[in-house]
Amino acid sequence: MKMWKNMLQDKLALLSFSIISLVMVTGLFAPFIAPHDPYEVHMVLRYAGSSWTYWLGNDHLGRCILSRLIYGIRPSILWVFAALAVSVGIGAMLGFIAGYFRGKIDALLMRICDVMLSFPGTVMTLAIVGILGVGLENILTAFILMKWAWFARVIRTAVLQYSESDYVKFSKAIGVKPFKIIYRHIVPVTLSDIAVTASSSFGSMILQISGFSFLGLGIQAPHAEWGMMLNEARGVMFSRPEFMVAPALSIMIVVSAIHFFSDYLQVALNPKLRTSKHKAGDFAGTTTPRLQEKEVA
Amino acid sequence: MYKYMIKRFLISIPLLLIISFLTFVLIHLSPLDPAEVVLQAQGVPVITEELMVQTKQELGLDQPFLIRYLAWFASCLQLDFGDSYVTGQPVWSLLAPAFLNTVKLTMVSALLIIVLSIVLGVVCALREGKMTDKTVRGISFFVTAMPSYALAAILIWLFSVKLDLLPTSGMNSLSSYILPVIVIAVSYAGLYFRIIRSSMLNNLNENYVMYGRACGLPEHKITKTILRNSLQVAVSVFCMAVPIILGSTVVVENMFAWPGLGSLSVKSILSRDFPMIQAYVLVLATAFVLFNTVSDMINAAINPKLREGL
Amino acid sequence: MKKRMFTSLITAALVLIAGCSEKSTAGGSENTPKEIIYASSKDINDMNPHLYPGSMPAQGKVYESLVENTKGGIKPLLAESWDISQDGKVYTFHLRKDVTFHDGAPFNAEAVKQNIEAVQSNASKHSWIKLSTKIESCNVIDEHTVELRLSEAYYPALVELSMTRPYVFISPKSFINGETKDGVSSFNGTGPYILKEHQVDQYATFEANENYWGGAPSIKKITSKVLPAGETTYLALQKGEVNFVFTDDRGTDSLDVEAMNTLADSGNYQIVRSEPMNTKMIVVNSSKSGHPVSEKAVREAIWHAVDRETISKQIMNGSESPAETLFSSNVNYADIDLQKRAYDPEKAKTLLEEAGWIVEEGQAVRSKNGNPLAMKVYFDIHSNSQKTQAEFIQSSLKTIGVQMELVGEESSSIANRRSTGDYDLLFNQTWGLAYDPQSTISAFTSDASYLHTTKGMSNADQLYQKIEEVMVSKDEPSREALYKDILTMVHDEAVFIPLTNGSVTIVAPADLQDITFKQTQFELPFERMSFK
Repeated sequence: MKMWKNMLQDKLALLSFSIISLVMVTGLFAPFIAPHDPYEVHMVLRYAGSSWTYWLGNDHLGRCILSRLIYGIRPSILWVFAALAVSVGIGAMLGFIAGYFRGKIDALLMRICDVMLSFPGTVMTLAIVGILGVGLENILTAFILMKWAWFARVIRTAVLQYSESDYVKFSKAIGVKPFKIIYRHIVPVTLSDIAVTASSSFGSMILQISGFSFLGLGIQAPHAEWGMMLNEARGVMFSRPEFMVAPALSIMIVVSAIHFFSDYLQVALNPKLRTSKHKAGDFAGTTTPRLQEKEVA
Repeated sequence: MYKYMIKRFLISIPLLLIISFLTFVLIHLSPLDPAEVVLQAQGVPVITEELMVQTKQELGLDQPFLIRYLAWFASCLQLDFGDSYVTGQPVWSLLAPAFLNTVKLTMVSALLIIVLSIVLGVVCALREGKMTDKTVRGISFFVTAMPSYALAAILIWLFSVKLDLLPTSGMNSLSSYILPVIVIAVSYAGLYFRIIRSSMLNNLNENYVMYGRACGLPEHKITKTILRNSLQVAVSVFCMAVPIILGSTVVVENMFAWPGLGSLSVKSILSRDFPMIQAYVLVLATAFVLFNTVSDMINAAINPKLREGL
Repeated sequence: MKKRMFTSLITAALVLIAGCSEKSTAGGSENTPKEIIYASSKDINDMNPHLYPGSMPAQGKVYESLVENTKGGIKPLLAESWDISQDGKVYTFHLRKDVTFHDGAPFNAEAVKQNIEAVQSNASKHSWIKLSTKIESCNVIDEHTVELRLSEAYYPALVELSMTRPYVFISPKSFINGETKDGVSSFNGTGPYILKEHQVDQYATFEANENYWGGAPSIKKITSKVLPAGETTYLALQKGEVNFVFTDDRGTDSLDVEAMNTLADSGNYQIVRSEPMNTKMIVVNSSKSGHPVSEKAVREAIWHAVDRETISKQIMNGSESPAETLFSSNVNYADIDLQKRAYDPEKAKTLLEEAGWIVEEGQAVRSKNGNPLAMKVYFDIHSNSQKTQAEFIQSSLKTIGVQMELVGEESSSIANRRSTGDYDLLFNQTWGLAYDPQSTISAFTSDASYLHTTKGMSNADQLYQKIEEVMVSKDEPSREALYKDILTMVHDEAVFIPLTNGSVTIVAPADLQDITFKQTQFELPFERMSFK
């Protein structure tokens, strides 16, 4: 729990973490927090400015922008998080298997990963959306399909490191079952790598989803989503730029927070990085996936 | 070295085959019957069962899956991807110019990315922990967190409308490149400069630097050596960036009405033009694999250690 | 030292940017007002006038028909005059003698014959235009006289010959193997403008035909520039990169009303609206068996749930008036008494209840026998007003327990859905004064158009029978009676749900004059316009 203690000292990390948690909780309890029904149309209030009843004003159908922003957290952040969790889950499972058992199964899994990684992510997402039709669920499916291979790779590398450690060798020698070893000894130590990789993907996935929604390929009306709200504001982007501000700022703040927090995690969980004395190779392991992730945005 | 290159190249061949197969399978997941689609595209008013069977025969759709795949693959090798459902023109005649435009945009952006990330990376590394370093890194976090369409909107508003310096969209003159290239470059440079920075920092702490300093070498000579070593990283970053950007110009192209693959793909998706989508996926995935192969080769040429891995 | 390096790099970058931007202002279009550059959301596409992918406003500039449909009736164009035989089966056209194609080939009876035969040899593509099924032969009488023989008298023959396509003329030298159906080698028409350059998905330029038989047009150059609708077009207009926009051939405005007004207020632009030209509507696929929309009660309920007043006032900013019937009363034969279905959500609910669509305990959407009352509506993704209307109607329908899903697609995909019947509801518009009612109505029977919309009507066979009759009817009173029956039938069955009366809107430079419209929403008479 040293990490938490450190975080309390790092104000920026603390702030980032609070923002992320606050946003997620708000999204989770959207129906209790949102001041209005996000789908309620008031044509008379079309493009109304902010007022006491509608703090952020009303959109092109006179709907409450604040409420839509709050409900928008669900697809924009929470669903992305869920997709991330699933792909991390799949990646972790296969990564553990490959890294721990080695041999043929490792070779096979890594070749599959190679194939998956040789597809450019955005193109595949577009392909899946093109075939199965536009919609949030298809984009999320595409994400899971494309991302698990990264996590499998990273986690396998981590597992390889630790499965050579003495206590694992010892457990093996005394006949502890493989899954118990993985669960007891390997999962805990690789958690930090998973956290770093996952957190750095999170931000770029949020940006990608909003990009697709902005192009009209993501979630469909009337659902509120931040990229979608930007898409709706796009028609009046230059005559009423204020409608871009709220969703754009929300995305920026959340993604910045995630970036800062992920940067902090990287340093906090990887003691080698705390000093500048490390070899280039150590760093590459965690940065490369991040580079590959950043695509649509 | 040549051995590595040949090996690396050979690896990409099965990869390309798998990609082509997956693309073929993918299009068959589409809910529409290809024979029916072709008949509709020909404007046949009433589609009868007999006509369907006949068309299936003509198109070879009654053949086993694998044979159809091989036939399709053979025609793809001759750049024959069929005709667009929407315009009826050959897919390749529409795709090729768009592909070229996207490559142009990608290359210019990659160049700017490399310049920006080297400059920023070096400056930040040399002033590690100081105000400049902190400010640049702080800004980079915000810039990379900004959705690119929002950044594009701000830039268009500022440079095209308010200052009236640059065109809002299209690809008419060299000046059309500026805004889209900046939008792409800024968000990627924000990521890549950090790699250069950390590699510079590694170098700064390497023994040869210590040694050089101890021997009293002039500081600018040491910086030069460090820079040279960091350039290697820069080249590999560049190589990594090109294929990734190639596939991710979608949003920017749509914002700036750039007549490239990104605009074309979204248009094809929204008009359910399946032959276009299929060719788009195949062409970009192939380009992606080939660029990756080349970039691995270049990297290996610069850094012999990498060759051992294969 | 490091600092200096940094600053010098930044300066270098700025110089670079400034250097490039100078070039752009030099090549800018603002100081060359003698040309029109219009924004279009689509490429002009294949300009072959005997096929349908091309942009109609572009084809309208390059190709011409034998006769022209004007407010005052059918007028001569490439044909100076014509005679119609007593039985209405033979049309003899006397062609103008001073017309040549853009490539210098003479326009004569032989060219007319070849063009008409080229169209007829691809008849299945043209089934929407009934004339294509009536033409028996086209014969050359002499160099400038040509005769068209029909299988039976067909009263809208001249109207259909006046349309933007397919009965227009391209130089026989452009034919490939004597045909046009597999493409043409060049795009030489007889019209006032000549296609000079075409960069796919970027722009196309048209230059004035100095040898045009009607006199060289005043505006020497017209460019069609591909721009995504909405904000990009708005900015491009503000900057003068384009200086002209108009409602496109699918009835989509690239700007919303508010943006247009802002431009007009700036003093650089004027807004010109045609008289109401068509009816914007939602088309219902009545033939989708088993689907809720195949039920008349559901269609009527949707009709009652649409608040046209609000659409007209709030979404269209009052620029378009609410439409209560498929054709407004200024359309020929359409000035008849039809029962108005007003905005009345309660009535809609009652209709649904009576038809067995009930709200189950705890459900938001009505259902019948376990089937939810859900449907999809397709709209043009480039049309902001369609999207907003769709969202608005979606929310109105939700209050009466109907779930409507929105799908935005390219207009070509929408057209494809209409002809294949792969839709529940879709946004559409009638075809404009030149086509209404006769062509739109004959399109009720055409697979490429509204067959799927009308096929599910309870009295569809009777409807088609009457449509057949009206097209060959010879006297005015029986025609009136038949049209009345037809319009009443489609109104009662509520398969076309009208929204507003649409017009063609042009945003043009303030100093452009003589802006007029044709009787169709699909083309504009650019050759008549001039700058002050």
